[in-house]
Amino acid sequence: MKEFDAVSLGILWDRLISITDEIVSSLIRTSFSINVRESYDLSCVLFDANGVPIAQGSYSVPSFTGTAAPTLRHMLRKYPPATLRPGDIVATNDPWMGTGHLYDINVMRPVFRKDKLVGYTLSITHLPDIGGVGVSAGPTQIYEEGLRLPVCKLMRAGVLDTELMELIRTNVRVNEQVIGDIMANISCNEVGGRLLLEFMDEYGLDDLVPLSTAILAQSERTMRERIRTIPDGIYKNRIDIEGVNEAIPLACTITKKDDSVVVDFAGTGDSVRAAINVPFCYTRAWAAYSIKCLTTPGTPNNEGSVRPINVTAPEGCILNTQVPFPTAGRHAVGHFIVPLMMGAMQDAVPDRVQADVGMMNIFNVQGTNRDGRGIASLFFLAGGFGALAGMDGAPTTPAPSNMGVVPTEMWENITSMTVERRELLPDSGGPGAARGGVGQEVVLVNDTGNLLTVAFMGQRTQFPAKGFQGGKAGRLRGYQINGKPVNPKGRFVLNPGDVISLFEAGGGGFGDPARRPPELVLADVRSGLVTAEGALRDYGVRVDLKRGTAVRA
Amino acid sequence: MTFRIGVDIGGTFTDFALFDETAGRMAIHKQLTTPKDPSLAVIEGVDLLVRRENVSVNDIAEIVHGTTLVTNAVIERKGAVTGMLVTKGFRDVLDIGLERRYDLFDLRLVFPPPIVPRERRVELDERVLFDGSVRQKVSLEEARAGIRSLVDNHQIKALAVCLLHAYANPEHELAIRALVEREFPDLFVSTSAEIFPFLREYERWTTTTINAYAQPMVDRYLANLEGGLRKIGFKGILSIMASNGGTVTPALARRYPVRMLESGPAAGVLMSAHHGRTLDLPNLLSFDMGGTTAKGSLVRDMNPLKKYEMEVARVHEFKRGSGLPVKVPVIDMIEIGAGGGSIGSVDDRGVIRVGPHSAGADPGPACYGRGGTAPTLTDANLVLGYLDPGFFLGGGMKLDLAAAKRAIEKNVGKPLNLALDRAAWGIHEIINEDVARAFRVHASERGFDYRGCSMIAFGGSGPVHAMRIARKLKIPRVIFPVGAGVMSAFGLLASPRSFEIVKSEVVFLDSLTEDGLAARFAPLVKETTGYLRASQTAAKDIRIVRRLDVRYFGQGYELEVTLPEGDEAELLRRIPELFAKAYESVFSISFLDQRLEIAAWKVEAVGPLPPMRTGFQLGHAGASKSAQKGTRRAYSAEQSGYADFPVFDRYALKPGANVMGPALIEENESTCVIGAGDRVVVDERFNLVADIVPEAGSA
Repeated sequence: MKEFDAVSLGILWDRLISITDEIVSSLIRTSFSINVRESYDLSCVLFDANGVPIAQGSYSVPSFTGTAAPTLRHMLRKYPPATLRPGDIVATNDPWMGTGHLYDINVMRPVFRKDKLVGYTLSITHLPDIGGVGVSAGPTQIYEEGLRLPVCKLMRAGVLDTELMELIRTNVRVNEQVIGDIMANISCNEVGGRLLLEFMDEYGLDDLVPLSTAILAQSERTMRERIRTIPDGIYKNRIDIEGVNEAIPLACTITKKDDSVVVDFAGTGDSVRAAINVPFCYTRAWAAYSIKCLTTPGTPNNEGSVRPINVTAPEGCILNTQVPFPTAGRHAVGHFIVPLMMGAMQDAVPDRVQADVGMMNIFNVQGTNRDGRGIASLFFLAGGFGALAGMDGAPTTPAPSNMGVVPTEMWENITSMTVERRELLPDSGGPGAARGGVGQEVVLVNDTGNLLTVAFMGQRTQFPAKGFQGGKAGRLRGYQINGKPVNPKGRFVLNPGDVISLFEAGGGGFGDPARRPPELVLADVRSGLVTAEGALRDYGVRVDLKRGTAVRA
Repeated sequence: MTFRIGVDIGGTFTDFALFDETAGRMAIHKQLTTPKDPSLAVIEGVDLLVRRENVSVNDIAEIVHGTTLVTNAVIERKGAVTGMLVTKGFRDVLDIGLERRYDLFDLRLVFPPPIVPRERRVELDERVLFDGSVRQKVSLEEARAGIRSLVDNHQIKALAVCLLHAYANPEHELAIRALVEREFPDLFVSTSAEIFPFLREYERWTTTTINAYAQPMVDRYLANLEGGLRKIGFKGILSIMASNGGTVTPALARRYPVRMLESGPAAGVLMSAHHGRTLDLPNLLSFDMGGTTAKGSLVRDMNPLKKYEMEVARVHEFKRGSGLPVKVPVIDMIEIGAGGGSIGSVDDRGVIRVGPHSAGADPGPACYGRGGTAPTLTDANLVLGYLDPGFFLGGGMKLDLAAAKRAIEKNVGKPLNLALDRAAWGIHEIINEDVARAFRVHASERGFDYRGCSMIAFGGSGPVHAMRIARKLKIPRVIFPVGAGVMSAFGLLASPRSFEIVKSEVVFLDSLTEDGLAARFAPLVKETTGYLRASQTAAKDIRIVRRLDVRYFGQGYELEVTLPEGDEAELLRRIPELFAKAYESVFSISFLDQRLEIAAWKVEAVGPLPPMRTGFQLGHAGASKSAQKGTRRAYSAEQSGYADFPVFDRYALKPGANVMGPALIEENESTCVIGAGDRVVVDERFNLVADIVPEAGSA
């Protein structure tokens, strides 16, 4: 097959994605940690012999968009293709070569067909532990955060390096889970290699390069066409986000010309002595994600769609941090790249951007439950989703990353804490022609009879989710203990009977609230998402529920 | 003489299968569904069928019924006005949902609105804790006032009672049920612990609201059906098919309408398993493709794989996660938005995409000539010569080939610079790839090795695509059973009575005694067998299957262990070994020194399999004498172009007959497309058994 028409290309392309999906499913099936199994904190990628990524599993998380190709380049720099043997497994968790923090392990396997290197498979998962102090903003240097594996071979020609595995095992907590997850990565890449060879046999392909060239060219063409629909211009934005002690500025300049985009983060603040610094690979991934949401949300991920986007950030700034700055919580800052860029683009493509989101709240609870069992759990809560042109934000929806809620019944069973309440917060969604999603109030009581330690790492407690195009901001996030506001980045010991109240941020509104049709305001008041006072104050609409009327005052 | 009838109501047709137990004879009938009151078509069809077959209604021992009534009510939001009572502080559980996005890139993703809107949910100041202890006792006065306000202000017809931790202690919910029955006798009530006593409030409560929402309608429907059947003289047993592949009495169906979701497709899978038993093929892929969706499921050791959750009414392009989660015992099916009506288009990548949008039955594919202009899979299959424009639905409907060509050329061929036949082939083959992909991932997630299995293919479009899909999956053999268009109606007749209860209760295995094990199973056994006894199943015929969800302490996921027969001491001893085996089969390794926890207790009572043979031929008046009707130009994948395909009349093929591909074997509801070199044998039960000749593929 020399040329690929739209039929062959579609079929072969879908098949490659199907192979990556099957690698993902095998990875999930054999992994041990909840991060992989429930939160899909993973990615699997297929490459051709030139190291060009062709296909990525459908479920990959956005922060892994486009990180795989540089990772493989780093690996091949140390182990050039000519030196690789069948059965070799190469790995690294270096934040600067991989995906930004030590927790993500990148595992690669070369694929040989009749003694010829025809491609690579690579998987990435978030390990449950990597030693060091554990997930915390506390460290001031990378060395405190745990074990950093340079590019290394876990297997040589099919033989496991037991000393290396022993080294890892010795340096981490929950080591069965960590080793189990690494083995799952090794075996899913074996599955991937087998499937890739079967595919090549079935279609009589000796070389993947012509196919990958066609697929990437097509993706790139689509991406460039979509980029063309954005008006040319230089779009800027600057926001403040909450650091550990003081606010950190993030800035971007997006230059869109013809069919390409340049994103530069000059003006962003310096790296800080807390584990929230972002290696550039992670910055690039979220920048590419933002552009993808605005252009081609429905197409599969691959390198072709990243090619027209050039991302830069000054060395040493918090979005391009250097060794030895710590990076474990790089997502706490990195997630703001999306609202930063959306804000920059709001005048250029108002019908595609999303107003700021309330974002997630993840906090750590440690201690002992009523029955004396240890508790070391993360509690996830989502704020409201940002509104889009003509579309209200959904309540309590995480973004830009994704997690699932722990059900109240499950949480109480595990921790013997009591959840008193889990309610939507009326009026917390940013007012707008389209309303921002509402946040929630959650109240937890320490009914364990023991001391508990909680560590917060909250955002949006000073800087709310902004509204776009005349829309107003959502309400701020807040933390209280026993009814008194507390430091949203603090660590607290709870006595038996102590009560934590969490107020989740609302999403930003979109468009002038004065343009929201009164009947929609009435419906919101009826369902309780907006109070009658809020309707008058925020929308200028007087609502009479008894009579079922809503009139703009 | 004993007869049984299976009736499956689909979106367009209601299918009937009449089985003569004495003679082993089967007759079928099909008529249009009557959407306003589906019982009308059922009653009329039964009446017509028995007259046509000269059977006395008196001799009909049982009518088994499957319906999409409940599914449709949820999709179209046509259920009753429903209210909800919830634990104080938890009114918003249905809105807060899972706090998870099912699509990370599509910012305009849509979530399904809850079945009960926020203003119809009333909080009660009561609280049961996770261990089942009562912290705040329910006040019946408060409950009464809450219900009164829902009835007066919202005119609710059904009530869902959803309290936290009711699975651990249902007494508050039961007290409210008693109150409703006493003081609001016209109100239908569903309580969460009865519907599915399982931990996870969002899923349990959503399931409960759907149950309540469907109750009044199902009650009305069954009353019409029972009355109508009585009127035409039916005195036998009426059974209703449930999603788990078992049947229940009308009384039980009225109480648990949510268990009737997807009961028709479940029956189709059951029929596949039945064929597997008679053909001695224990491991199968069941593939059913109709007008709007394709459904696949896996049969292992003669039993369809099951699960305990499903999703209904997806609101965003069939995407997983965009529907409402329901917890019920259900046959584990993959559903793909791919069927005859699926529309082919050019996607954002610049390649062909088919579905999930469907032209439905109206206007339908372009070739139906009812005003449809979008190119559908059926249009592609017509252009490729797989369908005969003059013999669609056995000649009951003429197809417009020119319209099909126009639609494909305009919407796919021209934009992609493809010749017509290549564009049509692209639409056809993309669907094959999509279905194969779904099977692969589904099987891989379940640790099911399908290589070497056979596929059973049915539905209107299944036989057209099955051989190519099997080839992609490296499956050597495809069975095309008799009556591809009415498999679900047959499957209804192959379903045993059954009922299953699943209850959450977390217990450490090492703290469990023999008595503890027996004490936890006993009430579940009593309740499930009670239901079967009430449907006239003799105690000696009831088989009890006990299963446990077990996990390693500290892990967040469980594996199901089926307990063998035996006394409690023996079982207790064997659980670790059974769990280790199950664990290894999925994860390839096990940690035998970890502590085990039981998370859920499952009891299923199963009645005997009904007597049923497949050795029947369906009477068909139009069967020609010679099997080969002629030839037709059709697209040959092997030759990448059109070739002459011999066309056979399936009804004239006798056991032992051989057909070499390429060939088209036509029956009224479908056509089996057999590729060049593949070989078909008609077995003694009139099934077509097709063996695939391996070859290097081409796209």
